[in-house]
Amino acid sequence: MLQKIAPQTLRIIALLAVLVLITLFFTTQIEGFLSGRLFNRISSSVAIMALVATGQTLVILTRNIDLSVGSVVGFVAFAAGSMITNHPDLSPAVLLAYSAALGAGFGLINGLLVAYARVPSIIVTLATMALFRSTLVEFSDGKSITTDNLPAWLTDFPNMVVFALGQMEFRAGFCASVLVVIVAHLAMTKLRAARQLYAVGSNPEAADLAGIDAARVVLVAFVLSGVMAGLAGFMFLARFGNITVVAGMGFELKSVASAVVGGVNIFGGSGSVIGAFLGAILVDLLETGLVRWAVVSEFWREAVLGTLILAAVATDTIISRRLTKARAERAQKEALASRVAK
Amino acid sequence: MMARLKSWEGLLLATLLVIFTFNAWATPEFLTVGNQINLFQLSIEKIIMALVMTFVIINAEIDLSIGSMMGLAACAFGWMFIQGVPPGLCIVICLAIGLLGGALNGWLITSIGLPSLVVTLGTLIGFRGLARVMVEDRGINDFPDWFDALGQQGLLGPVPFALIAFVVLFVVLYIVLERSSFGRLTYVIGSNKDVAEYAGINTGRHKMVIFMASGLIAAFAGLLFAARVGAVRGDVGNGFELDVITIVLLGGVSIFGGKGTLVGTLLAILIVLNLRNGMGLLDITGHLQTGVIGILLIASVIIPRIRLGRRAEAA
Amino acid sequence: MTQPTLALRSVSKSFGMTAALDDMTLELFPGEVHAIVGENGAGKSTMIKIMTGVHQPTSGRIEIDGAPVVMSGTKAARLRGVAAIYQEPMVFPDLDVTENIFISATDGLVLHRAAMRRDALALIARIGMTLDVDRVASGLSLAEQQAVEIARALSQDVRVLIMDEPTASLSAHEAAELRRIARTLADGGVAVVYISHRLEEVFQIADRVSVIRDGKHISTRAIADTNPQLLIADMVGREVGNYFTKMPSTAQDDVLLRVQGLGVAGVFDDVSFDLRRGEVLAMAGLIGARRTDVALTLFGILRATSGQVSYKGRPLTLRSPADAIAAGIAYVSEDRRKLGLAMALPIRWNISLATLKRYLSRLGLIDVGAETDMALSFRKRLNIRTPDVEMTVGMLSGGNQQKVMLAKWLNMQPDLLIVDEPTRGIDVGSKAEVHDLIRAFAAAGGAVLVVSSDLPEVLAMGDRILVMREGQQMAILDSGEASQERIMALATGQRGAA
Repeated sequence: MLQKIAPQTLRIIALLAVLVLITLFFTTQIEGFLSGRLFNRISSSVAIMALVATGQTLVILTRNIDLSVGSVVGFVAFAAGSMITNHPDLSPAVLLAYSAALGAGFGLINGLLVAYARVPSIIVTLATMALFRSTLVEFSDGKSITTDNLPAWLTDFPNMVVFALGQMEFRAGFCASVLVVIVAHLAMTKLRAARQLYAVGSNPEAADLAGIDAARVVLVAFVLSGVMAGLAGFMFLARFGNITVVAGMGFELKSVASAVVGGVNIFGGSGSVIGAFLGAILVDLLETGLVRWAVVSEFWREAVLGTLILAAVATDTIISRRLTKARAERAQKEALASRVAK
Repeated sequence: MMARLKSWEGLLLATLLVIFTFNAWATPEFLTVGNQINLFQLSIEKIIMALVMTFVIINAEIDLSIGSMMGLAACAFGWMFIQGVPPGLCIVICLAIGLLGGALNGWLITSIGLPSLVVTLGTLIGFRGLARVMVEDRGINDFPDWFDALGQQGLLGPVPFALIAFVVLFVVLYIVLERSSFGRLTYVIGSNKDVAEYAGINTGRHKMVIFMASGLIAAFAGLLFAARVGAVRGDVGNGFELDVITIVLLGGVSIFGGKGTLVGTLLAILIVLNLRNGMGLLDITGHLQTGVIGILLIASVIIPRIRLGRRAEAA
Repeated sequence: MTQPTLALRSVSKSFGMTAALDDMTLELFPGEVHAIVGENGAGKSTMIKIMTGVHQPTSGRIEIDGAPVVMSGTKAARLRGVAAIYQEPMVFPDLDVTENIFISATDGLVLHRAAMRRDALALIARIGMTLDVDRVASGLSLAEQQAVEIARALSQDVRVLIMDEPTASLSAHEAAELRRIARTLADGGVAVVYISHRLEEVFQIADRVSVIRDGKHISTRAIADTNPQLLIADMVGREVGNYFTKMPSTAQDDVLLRVQGLGVAGVFDDVSFDLRRGEVLAMAGLIGARRTDVALTLFGILRATSGQVSYKGRPLTLRSPADAIAAGIAYVSEDRRKLGLAMALPIRWNISLATLKRYLSRLGLIDVGAETDMALSFRKRLNIRTPDVEMTVGMLSGGNQQKVMLAKWLNMQPDLLIVDEPTRGIDVGSKAEVHDLIRAFAAAGGAVLVVSSDLPEVLAMGDRILVMREGQQMAILDSGEASQERIMALATGQRGAA
């Protein structure tokens, strides 16, 4: 029966179940936990992380990793901030395109080094994480972006209520982010080219035999990850307004955590954008819950996050290994049976 | 000279000489004993951890959790200290925490079979979390004078304890890597784990020892940090893993395992320290220094490949 | 007859000094199942790689529909309608059946899932299978994965389908099903190349059969004009003793190893033999005979699930290679690159790897002097051609690498030496040297188990010859009663051969 359902669907169902369980748990523990405010809080924060995690998912699918996303978010937030500060009349669309293009540029650097210079992605992005951050420091010249210098349309945008369900406010930032996630998810499931991303991560040798240009696929994944980080940088600027050179630090690990918790296989080939989105929500929900849970200090959240990642990966590995073993045993039995029949 | 330059170490040495000469020429105070000791002292935790990281990466693994383990050990020390635990006992317990954390990494990698990249990414976050649980957002200081003095003052003349520890550790680990069977197996397992297993070697146990050593030395580095700075906070060692890995890879250790030497790591340490010091003396900010080192990291992977390609053409 | 769909015209391919294919000519016609048989290493896989564009011929040409073509890669070959499926299917484990079938398709930006699904069902139906097209490929059996690959080839209008040992890992029922599919495709006008070690299968399915040996085309006959004996004669062809002389036995009376009813569930079963000191037992068989698995079980890597092993007169249980090594059993792997040598490390390190403890001083440090002396003495004794022992093993020729591997295990001074394909891919001169070394080891009182696919080698080395086929022990022949034809008949499952 379970074999009927695709593993990815199962993962998403399991994630939703875990989300509900955790919410219920904190509801029993914390008075007034389940409220509109909780939703508003988590949705505002997930709005940014979901974008980064989406990009990270694309990269992980191809058996790579992008540790530079945090620096890209920071750089783009700052650069977009200084652009709009210097040119207050700039239209929103141009600023958004500027952010995405900057991100794409950073992604292109990563992608070229990984796909064509064949440097392992962990090294490349470890280096560019430092490099992009230091470029930001140089670029900023010690100054910060402040909310006062930003146009109202920008700072108001994330908190603008599109519609509300009781206390739950669906704010523009969150809605935009969800829209991007949905588009990305549809693209990943419906576009022919997107299947190549999965193919390269799933079995590189077979992908090569099937005539897929793996280097180009990896390059595209990194560029898209850069674009996503660029959009997240735009959102970061809009939400916080005050941008210093440390903006976006730590996003790289949180985005990897969201993807992995969301069922994206760290060895590539399987996972979904929706999964990573749910992973981001789960991570944020846990953090928020732990901060407000009186039993433990709020400082537990990182420890729990680390444990969560390890538990998610270990469970995934053990379950898939069991499945493989069970399958091998079944095949063996069939082989023996046929031999006896002979 | 040309023959020497053909090896990666030769190239590093030449680079080092250039930077060193430039520093000495550009700033008169560079060659003073005080500046030279200061140069090591400022990054002492990283360069100590780089020695063990050399083993980890030659073994074809990675340990991203060392910065957090440093923080955990430092915070555990601070927390136990304010609970009134005698400092000596605190130190022992902190080192034990390092061993235990390393064993956790090792167990997940060798027994569950998870990749070290994922495991230590998880414990990077997890250990950091535990560190914050202990000190929350406080800073803990007022350690005993002898402890602070150990970190801040010269022990042998102007040479502080940490630098002596670094030198001793380097010598010991050099002998282990170059001359002992453990060192030999570190290379063989990193080069081809299956060949080692077919030769009857328990590769799991070997990796376990390496990860425990990595945890232990990271905890030791955390204590050094506490003594040197005289205070601990939740973010002790944050991001150190990246600098450490950069140094090791720059030193010619292959990220794919099986290749590299501690001499290479030492040369890379000296290059990075001198480069940072030189840039510091020229008023180049820390973040920009990090960027330069990021470029060096990528170059350290690409340059040998270009040179190899050229050699293949010549052949 | 009509125009051949694909033809090789005097195609040769050499890698460095070794010629893998030599003046090969082969014509494949639409609607035929063309079987190709030959010993391991006869050049079949090189030929497939030429036809699928993985390798380019050194000389000669490929024709499609009579016109010369250049196939610069697998994609180019696929576009011309040439596809191959292998014993180990090349599927994407994370994608479902439909996606696997259409992964190379390029028409349209958006996937039309419903249409794709319908087409996938049609393709699967066309080859007469039933398969849930929404299932993820990692859950499929090998036979089902092969069906997916065939469907993928069909979706690209395949005109030449090469099937490389497709039934080697399948059950009898699955294999029959696959042969039926191959026949269906041929009836639909596809030229099917069917490579198999199972002669009975060849006679069941093929219209024509070609024999290749040592990279050369030997014969092509209609199936009605040939018989198993004729094929085997073509396959082994060469004069016995052409390369190697039969070595006199050095067997003593003392039984070192007694294997009774040894088996690993689902892999092989009921293997029984005695091995005396001084004796060389050769294990012959084709790919999929499971000889290496028997060797790995005796080295503690696979766990036996049935049978007993007694060694030096006592029962022996092995849980790991360390156990085997402690008992004095050495295993020289067939896979130098993956399992035999650390290619990037020095010769000296590789030789001492299994015996490193012997070169440790009291402080636990390696006595490099003693280690170097040992390595140098092996260089001399085994005639390893290298200026020094500090060079990385990867720099040596295949023959010298093989000697380094032998040195590693000889230095252990084992009682039982298991050598798996000891001379695969090395030159004739080195082969003879390796044979002499193995025989010298036996003459000094060691027992040797040689796994080899090289029949002249098996006949030259083996005091007795154990023939396996598909996990079953077929016979043990004395060297006097063994011949290439007899061994090949047993290995290919000809009834009444024993």
